[in-house]
Order: sequence, then C-alpha cells, then structure tokens
Amino acid sequence: MAATASPDSTSGGSLGDVIRTAELLVTTGPGGVGKTTTSAALGVAAALAGRRVVVVTVDPARRLADALGLDEGAAADEPHRVEGVVGLGDGPDDGELWALMLDAGSTFDRLVREQTANERQAKVILENSVYRAISGSLAGAQEYMAIERLHQLHSSGEWDLVIVDTPPSRHAIGLLEAPDRLVGFLSHPVYRALTAGQRAFAKVTNAAASMFLWAVRRLAGPQIVEDTVEFFRSLSEIEPGLRRRAGEVATLLRADVSSFIVVSSPRAEAIGEAEHLVGALRDGDFPLAGVVVNLIHPLPEPLTAKDRALLDDLGEGPLADHLNWHDELSELAIAEREELAALADLAEDVPVVELPLLDIDVHDVEGLAGLADLLVGHG
Amino acid sequence: MGDIDIDWLLDTRVAIVAGKGGVGSSTVAAAYALAAAREGANVLFIAVDARPGMGPLLGGRELDHNDRVLRKIKGAGQVRGRTIPADQAFGDYLEMKGVSGLLRRASSSASLPMIAAATPGLEHLLVLGKIKELEKDRSADLIIVDAPPAGHAAPFLRSATSISDVVNSGPIREQAVEVDSMLRDAERCMAMIVTLAEETPVTEAIELAGELTIEVGLALLPVVVNACWPDRPGLAKTPAMAARSHKIKLSADAKRALASSATFGRARLERQHLQIERLAAELELPMLMLPRLVTPRLTPHHLGELADAILAPLTDPSEVS
Repeated sequence: MAATASPDSTSGGSLGDVIRTAELLVTTGPGGVGKTTTSAALGVAAALAGRRVVVVTVDPARRLADALGLDEGAAADEPHRVEGVVGLGDGPDDGELWALMLDAGSTFDRLVREQTANERQAKVILENSVYRAISGSLAGAQEYMAIERLHQLHSSGEWDLVIVDTPPSRHAIGLLEAPDRLVGFLSHPVYRALTAGQRAFAKVTNAAASMFLWAVRRLAGPQIVEDTVEFFRSLSEIEPGLRRRAGEVATLLRADVSSFIVVSSPRAEAIGEAEHLVGALRDGDFPLAGVVVNLIHPLPEPLTAKDRALLDDLGEGPLADHLNWHDELSELAIAEREELAALADLAEDVPVVELPLLDIDVHDVEGLAGLADLLVGHG
Repeated sequence: MGDIDIDWLLDTRVAIVAGKGGVGSSTVAAAYALAAAREGANVLFIAVDARPGMGPLLGGRELDHNDRVLRKIKGAGQVRGRTIPADQAFGDYLEMKGVSGLLRRASSSASLPMIAAATPGLEHLLVLGKIKELEKDRSADLIIVDAPPAGHAAPFLRSATSISDVVNSGPIREQAVEVDSMLRDAERCMAMIVTLAEETPVTEAIELAGELTIEVGLALLPVVVNACWPDRPGLAKTPAMAARSHKIKLSADAKRALASSATFGRARLERQHLQIERLAAELELPMLMLPRLVTPRLTPHHLGELADAILAPLTDPSEVS
C-alpha cells in the first residue's frame, strides 16, 4: 500500500454503519476508478462484520476475478463461496463472502421461465432466434438484468447483504433508468400494434406496424420479420410480469434497506460524472450512503522555504531528480485535493472516503481486506 | 525528430482509437487529431459516444452532428469535429440507398429503437457505415474515431460480423459486408490501442489487441502508453546520497520531505517499467509514450503538450528491457 491517506475526518457517518445494516448495496461510477475492487472490498468488510454477503459483478479484471474465485472455469451466474475470508476477522462471528459473475442472458432466461405459465410457453420464447440474439443486448438489458438479479438474490432470503457492482457507463444512471426503458420498449406503438390481441402470423392491419415490418423486411430480409413478430408476440405473454417486476425493483431500490455508493477518482472528468450521479440519485430519491474516491496521489511533506532556496539552480543530477519528482507529485496531489473539495461539498451529509493509489493491483482476499480496513475503518 | 518516425501518423485514412475506461483514450484521440493537423492534415475527429468537453478541448464548440472546424493551424492543417448519432446515420443511410417516402418515415427515428432491438449491433453498424461513407468520399485526409469507452469498443467494432449472424440478406447485410472490408483494409482503417503502464490496463490492452486483430481483422497503429511518469534515475539514491553528488548538505526536514515523495516514486517507476516491458513483449508493436500531465483537469494547453509527445519518436518494443 502506498503512502498514507486516511478516511476523511470531516464527514459524518461511516461506511462501517452501511455495511452492517444495509441489505442491498449498489456501487456506481465511471469506468476505470476501481469500482469493482471497491465493491469486493466492501463485501469483505461486511463478511468480517459477521454478515452473509454476495457480491454481484459484471466484468471484473482478471486478477480480481481470481481473488474472488471467478476464474474462467467457474460457472457464470451462480454464487461461489470466496475462500480465505474466515480467519482474517476477529473471531467466531465471521460471516461469509460469496461472489457471482452476472450473465445478462441467463438472468433474462430465468426471468422468462418465472413469468411464463408453463415450460412450453417458456420454450417458445427461449428458442426464438431473435430472443437468443437480443436477450444479452437489448437496450439496457445488461443494466436491467443486474438489478433483476439483485432483486432475485434479495428476495431469496438467503443473504444478509447483496452488493451489486453496476456496469461502467458514461451516463451511469443507465442502471436506474433500465426498468423504465424496458417498459418504454413494451409501450412502443409499433410493439403494441404487433402484439395486440393477434394470433401468430395473423395479418397485421395497423399502419405503423405494417410499415415497421415492411422496413425490417426491406432492410434485413424476410426471415427476421417472422422471428421478430413471433418474439414480440411471445414476449407480450410475459409482459405483465415484466412490468410488475420493474415496478418492484424501482420500489426496492428506493427502500430504507438499499444504499448507493458512488465511486470516483480525483480526475476532473470522473468527478464531473460522480457529481452528476450524486445529483441523479438524489433527484430520483435513491438513498445515497457514501462517496468513495480511489486512486488519490499521496501528498508529500512540504519543503520549507529555506530548504527550497538551498535547492534552487540544481541543474541536472540525482538531487534534481528528487526535487523535480517532489514538486510534480506535490502539484498533482494538491490539485487533486482541490478537485475533491467540490465533491465533498456536494456529498453534504454522507461520508466521503478517500483512498490512496495502491502500489499493486489487488489480487487476493488479503489485499481486499486491507482495502476494506481503509474503507470502513476499525471497529 | 526525423520524418521516418511520424510516418505512421497518416498511414491510414481512418484511425479508431480505443481503450478501456479511465485510460484517457478520448484525450489521446484528440491529441492525435491535433498532431496530424500540425503536420498539415485535414483531420475529422468523430466522437461515437461524445463526452461533454471534447470540442472545447480541441479549441472549438461542443461537438454535435454537424461537421464543424474546431481549430485551424496556421500554415498547416485543421481539425474538424462531429458526432454520429445512430438515428441520423440511419436516416442518411436510407437516403443514400434511395429509400424514400413511406419506408423512410416508417423506419426513421421513431422506429429505430424497434428495428435496432430486432437486429443487435445495428446502431453500431450504422455508425460504422456512416464512417465508411465519409472515408469513401475522402471527406478528410485522416478520420480519427474516438471509440466507445470501457467494455464497449470491441462490441462496437464487432458489430459488422455479429450482425451477419442474424441478417442474411438485404441492404443491412450489404452494409455489414462493406464495413467489414473497410475494417480489414489497413490502407483504409487501423486501430490505436491506448493503455496505462499498470497491470490491469496492460492486461486489458493485450486482450483488446487480440480481439481487434483476430476477430475484427483490424491492423494496429503504435500502442499508446498514456500518463507515463518521466524517468528519474536519481530516485534510486536516498535524498542524502543524492545531495552528496551535488555537494549539498540537506537539513533533516528536507531529507524527510524528499524521502516522503521518493518512496512512492520509486515504486511507481519500477511498476511502470515492468508493465511497459510486459506490453512490449506481448504485443511487439511500436510504442508511443505520452507524459503524465501534472494536473487532474485537462485544458487545450495540455492537449498541445500531448500532441508534441505524439510527434516524438516511437519506442521499438525490442529495445525495451
């Protein structure tokens, strides 16, 4: 671990309370800021606090995946016990850490099975070529499936805490809008016309829908038209269920048991996105529980004016290397702290935890435990 | 710097700049555009998923779907910029195909989400198709594409092949075939991978290189290692030892202050060196090292510094050790 940086002492509350009490924890933030690692470390912290935790992640970097036992041999979409957490903690009340790699396609399949009346109906949808092609890529599907999986895990009653690491996104509220987008898709006039009370292959009379089919046929060929119509019609059978679920998820994410943590880095663009997210969470009444800023450069001790005068005009050489390095690192570290001030203001009453740039990639549970310590402090 | 070193700059007509989230690939794409314009090229910068601020960073207005001059370089070239929204690409495409009237109305923006839902990868393909048209028209000496960030670069570029699995005939199929042949022709199109000298970004750059070359058939431009710390060999010595070679005696305070930064610096530089070595060994591509800017907030001035660095000589991977 690099030089010291301590959790911000000026903010109230702590992430320690969050990992002990929340039932759902959603981390969100721009790409490349260590969001997945932070989620995993919060999972370790909660397990060490005695809870049974599952961390749901989308696309972990390889070494982190290894640390969580999610290497290539592991089956996607099922929870795996993460070994090595027990024994790191204080004693007998250690909890358990599990990890799960999200597979949007499998989650969609499960949703279809749950929402259809029987296996035959489910099979019609699951074997449709259009369904197979789009279940993983339908607009917002991955984001939607992340929260769908969260809902499944939470309502199973098997877990004290479910942590979901959301897919990175430039407009990271994609996740929160996903249920609305799916419902919006199902409400599209063309979709409605194609599915309204018609049997498969019945003549489509609605003008907008006919034009749509004509366009698809002209542009993409006749085979896809049949598959599309069949898919849309079969989807309409599970539509009430999908809508109900979207509503349940929207309620759950705003409930007291849920907490959102925004993860950022001290770079201006990341902070801009984090600020945007904090605002969007507040506007949407999603419970914001904290902000984590990763990758902060350590601030070197300053040189006194007297020492600095002595070091003027060094020319080149080893001491000049030291001085230049000290100056550059100080300049960057100070500028980063200025950027962070804006975020701290915006966070208002929720804790802002600042973490130093690490010297190594976290690649084992012990590394995560070290990070957990920095995130939630001791005791 | 010799001419030979910057030949790669205009080696192809479309340069797709890609990297995982947080490595600075948008910034590198913008700096590349500026560097090529300084060398006299008429450059078109295309942001696929426009992050606010890219237009101003290049010295002009915020980008939108209009092709606008962002910056003219005196006695040299210029940088133009635009975005390509999927629905506009779709409309342009229909117009180009002579599709008119009813069909165009049926398939214009209101229905695009529906059609796109039925044909995965269609939006990406339409954007690539528009880029292909701009390339065919020779609308610029060099088109620089700032590819979507994070995990989306590979699916974006794979859209032409993946769409062929679903669509067997018709104009969309033709479009996919045409885009595919552009991506496979190094004279027309190449990709630039951007990474950081850190373990995970390097691992991901190596994976991305494999995906782009094998699955998409793209040739690769030099790989960019962004945000490199300058080498400071003097850090190997303690501040006191270093001071001795300058015949200076440091106070205890000064020693402590310098040591507080040096510990961190040695570790960073060692790690940076190790990761550059790994990248060189794995990719065997010429490398372009860009300096770490001593600021968390980028300005047009910083972009100029990066453009200077892009015009500097490349590093031969066999010379990294």
